[in-house]
Amino acid sequence: MKNNIKVERAIKGLTQEDLANKVAVSRQTINAMEANKYVPSTVLALKIARVFGKPVEDIFMLEDID
Amino acid sequence: MKTTPLLPNRYKKIGWVIFIPAILAGLMISILDFNADWLTTNVFAIWNDPIVGRASFFTVIKTDVTNTLVGALFIIGGMMVGFSREKQEDEYIAELRLSSLLWAVCVSYVLLLLAFLFVYGGPFFTVMVYNMFTVLIIFIARFNYLLYRNAQSISHEK
Repeated sequence: MKNNIKVERAIKGLTQEDLANKVAVSRQTINAMEANKYVPSTVLALKIARVFGKPVEDIFMLEDID
Repeated sequence: MKTTPLLPNRYKKIGWVIFIPAILAGLMISILDFNADWLTTNVFAIWNDPIVGRASFFTVIKTDVTNTLVGALFIIGGMMVGFSREKQEDEYIAELRLSSLLWAVCVSYVLLLLAFLFVYGGPFFTVMVYNMFTVLIIFIARFNYLLYRNAQSISHEK
């Protein structure tokens, strides 16, 4: 699964730390997701989408291997 | 969000203070064959079966408790270190913890398999003693290595 958290974050002018605080996870988690090392739970994906004010599908996309 | 039950974060520090001396003492006991004679005391035994004499159950016996003490401290300290919440425990940390446990059990049994196949006689007993502790040691090492690696990759990123 791919995501464009980094892009959305830049649009909103949020640092990794800001986003981490808004969705109540550690900064490591945001960092790992942006590096495609971690696939978030549905709960976390929905929370992130809510911060960016967009549907989940706009932020997280399936890849061919999924 | 609901996470697995773990000890509060402060127990991790307390755990290290118990765990590290216990490892050192354990190594000292096994390498130097050290036994503290002054640590002989009365203990309650559910099952006692000395090499010479008869087995007894639910009795108080007099014995050297060096091994007992060091082993118990190792387990208590190790469990505190391994099963305490991180400062910011979340789902990613929980996944790292679980994958480290899987890794530790796997590696530990591979080591035990090798010992079964290639170690015979007296030394096999020594290997078994070490193997009692490898799961906890490998788990703690792996988990903290992953945390460290993550903290490293963060410092490069803004």
